[in-house]
Amino acid sequence: MAIDIPTRTDQLPTSATRFIGKAVNRIEDPALVSGTVEFIDNLSLPGMLHCAILRSPHPHARITAIDASAALELPGVEAVLTGEDVERWCDPCFTAPEGWGNYCLAVGKVRFVGEPVVAVAASSRYIAEDALELIQVEYEVLDPVANPDEAMASGAPLVFENRGTNVIQSRTYTWGEVDRVFAEADRVVSRQFRWNRVGANPTETFGCICQWDLADNSLTCRGAYQTPRFMAIGRAASLRLPANKVKIISHAQGGGFGGKGGPRGTDIAALLSRKCDGRPVKYIEDRMEYLLAGGGQSWDRYYDAAIALKADGTVTGFKVRLVDDQGAGAEGYGTISAAKPLAAFTGNYRIEAAFYDLTLVATNRAPTYPYRGYGPPPHNLVLESLMDVAARELALDPAELRRRNYIGPEQFPYTVPSGNEYDSGNYAAVLDRVLELSDYKALRESQAKARAEGRLVGIAVVSTVEPGVFDWNAYATVGVPGVGVPEGVKVAVDVFGNITVAIGFNLQGQGQFTVAAQVVADYLGVEMNAVKVTTASTDVALPHFGQGGSRLGVAVTGAILGACDKLRQTFCRVVAHVMQTEPDQVELMNGRLQLKAAPAHGMTIAEVAGLMLSRSDLLPPGVEPCPEATFVWVSPNRNLPDDQGRCRSYLTAAAATHVVQVEIDRDTGQVKILGYYIVDDCGTRLNPANVEGQLQGGVAQGVGAALYEEYVYDPQCQPLVSTFVDYLMPTIHEVPMTVKDHIVTPSPIAPLGAKGCGEGAIHTTPAALLCAINDALAPLGLECRETPASPRRLWNLLHGQHGH
Amino acid sequence: MSTRKTIRLTVNGKPYEREVEARLTLADFIRHELHLGGTHVGCEHGICGACTILIDGSSARACLTLAVQADGASITTIEGLRNRETGQLHPIQQAFVDAHGLQCGFCTPGFIMTTLELLGENPDPTDEEIKEALGGNLCRCTGYQSILDSVRLAASRINTATAA
Ligand code: FES
Ligand code: FES
Repeated sequence: MAIDIPTRTDQLPTSATRFIGKAVNRIEDPALVSGTVEFIDNLSLPGMLHCAILRSPHPHARITAIDASAALELPGVEAVLTGEDVERWCDPCFTAPEGWGNYCLAVGKVRFVGEPVVAVAASSRYIAEDALELIQVEYEVLDPVANPDEAMASGAPLVFENRGTNVIQSRTYTWGEVDRVFAEADRVVSRQFRWNRVGANPTETFGCICQWDLADNSLTCRGAYQTPRFMAIGRAASLRLPANKVKIISHAQGGGFGGKGGPRGTDIAALLSRKCDGRPVKYIEDRMEYLLAGGGQSWDRYYDAAIALKADGTVTGFKVRLVDDQGAGAEGYGTISAAKPLAAFTGNYRIEAAFYDLTLVATNRAPTYPYRGYGPPPHNLVLESLMDVAARELALDPAELRRRNYIGPEQFPYTVPSGNEYDSGNYAAVLDRVLELSDYKALRESQAKARAEGRLVGIAVVSTVEPGVFDWNAYATVGVPGVGVPEGVKVAVDVFGNITVAIGFNLQGQGQFTVAAQVVADYLGVEMNAVKVTTASTDVALPHFGQGGSRLGVAVTGAILGACDKLRQTFCRVVAHVMQTEPDQVELMNGRLQLKAAPAHGMTIAEVAGLMLSRSDLLPPGVEPCPEATFVWVSPNRNLPDDQGRCRSYLTAAAATHVVQVEIDRDTGQVKILGYYIVDDCGTRLNPANVEGQLQGGVAQGVGAALYEEYVYDPQCQPLVSTFVDYLMPTIHEVPMTVKDHIVTPSPIAPLGAKGCGEGAIHTTPAALLCAINDALAPLGLECRETPASPRRLWNLLHGQHGH
Repeated sequence: MSTRKTIRLTVNGKPYEREVEARLTLADFIRHELHLGGTHVGCEHGICGACTILIDGSSARACLTLAVQADGASITTIEGLRNRETGQLHPIQQAFVDAHGLQCGFCTPGFIMTTLELLGENPDPTDEEIKEALGGNLCRCTGYQSILDSVRLAASRINTATAA
């Protein structure tokens, strides 16, 4: 049967949408505000043990001896797991590119501070931690590889000896006639940038309960899992189990942002359960563990970049050389974050040629993981900073320079040099609206006044494109196979007309359960409270991915629309049979299956479902007594990349322009945000409150990355950050209350015209803040080209201190 | 290490008597001994505020408090806010729902408990006073704007109700 996925809300079988497009309350919230949601640490299983992990104090060392005998004698301790067990039972995890993975516990040597070395299972976490103190590990300390320069020096110690090099990947991409446009340029603007490590830090750290069934040789893992099926496949591979013997039950998560981590903790808890005759083992990562060695470190980058311009400000070329410190291997898929910028390499602009020279390096810092945005935030900071430098040199207003280079609304679908196709947009309209919203002229006037008083006030106007709805093909160049990321749902109507939507992921904060209920309720014409959204475990769930790559709102909407269309077609057959007519004479409208010619004659959804389940005598031949449908959605029209990585990858291209005004305090180096304005365009807004929440949350994380957060390592590769006293998360005092508006350019190809919108603000805010800071510094002839632009860094810059 | 002590305390109006290890944190006691899982733990070192509860009416960090320190105290946790009989949400909880003041909801019990203390002391706070009160609670999801809106909404509803 042909399935129809509406790309416009007016194609839905309802005379007016009642829920889609409205800021309806979230169905997930009553339980969350009551404190009754079952986050993983709220769950206990009978006979459950607790895991604690002894971690490496050294960035690089050989393990010469482990003595855990005293720990094993401590009452309450049931098992100790070491590298020997792990080497016997496991394989190193998969990576892309292949061969840069670690075991879940160090085998032979440790590669970063915080790497798990020994794990204990005991009757309580307190006793498990007591036991760690009784374990003796002897190390032969090795020279650390502290940074990419050291890593690439000849004769450098090797993080992975078997690789023979510390370079994970080094390659270039050439898109268009880069040499020519640079040779013909009237002006070339180039700068170097340093983006220091930041990371996700969801408020809940990772946690799991694993249980190994020794008879069946199968594993069940409950926990804070962001991408359940992907996690199951990874565990099967590292634990040498058939994939259908690993069942993941995803619990609600206290945030994720890509950096939840979990593979190592899961494998360790699983192996401890195996050692403890199948008793369930709980592992709850604590914040220090997360900060040292969890999934929370991302984007450790050294950039050297240039743009080529014509005299009139037309940008013709963009070159980027990136050296990316991946840390100790590729276990966290940090490599992907260097490939993702291909999806929108040249941003909002008609830049005709581009060049990317990419080197991914292993060091003895902690391995890097995904973080919201997955790579473009630093990339955009580089491009937008160069745009501002160019504007300054050309004496053009930064808004005007951007406007001159925008892709025009008539040029969509637009293929960027790096290969992706943007679906739709109207960047000039976004700019116009934000300049109006911010009263940009008045902002500039107030800046002039402030400058005259000697104050350091700066303004930025920064535009970005947010690639939405990721596809594996975008990451092919770092070794990720495949095209298409399936997302499946089941929509089931019961005998009373209640509806259950079964999906493959659990709550994480973005509100997808609500979006699912909105779409089902509008399609099938029921109230939202008739819809129950539930998470299927991986053994029964349809193919799915879950949250990630700014996709799930769009993907789950597509899946639900597909399943609903299948239901509609089945219901039409049933009703046609009962009414002795043809299915094409029946339509679904406002929750009723009715005769097109005589709409007064029809049945409600509940009546049809009830009939199907309880009157098999009335069913047409070939129709099962099953008012349920499944559908697995995948982005339409994706393709394999060419050798330069070019393909149609991310399905949607949302856009935003932020205007920000900041002031730098000369005496403290502190940046104060005086005003923050956002206009974005992510197509149809399925739930505007959700969209605004995504925007504002992204701003907060962008503020952290630009001004405060940093995983600091000393020259010996020792981390200096292990608590929230050192890793500075923005509070309500640091995050601006933003003024927002939007325009709507629906996607012509995505379900209901909605675009991915979960990452846009973190793509934009760091660039906006750094550009505003540099605008403030411009009269002094100073530039800050390192993040975070912390008070210390800016104070050093202002006071002529080196080493900022 | 294994010194045990008997404590008596009231949690959400219900009296408890328990023997606990001297080193047991109040957060672990509430979560794992009393099975009140709404008091969340985000850092265990006093910074994030997810574990905020009220001890004798004043906000406190359950992760930095030992259970034995709560001997004799009267404690309120997030579970104590909803109307037990009707299941109706407390006006602060309802305001967080209505103003979309949460995303993942992990920080939310802490914010709500802090707000409960704030509005008890200052029923009509200014934005600056709200920020001051909430400055010790971290939220990684929302960017705080909708939380500020939620607290304002809660204050105005409570004040309207009191005036009526
Ligand atoms: S868990 Fe207590 S303050 Fe973070
Ligand atoms: S709602 Fe997720 S941390 Fe606040």
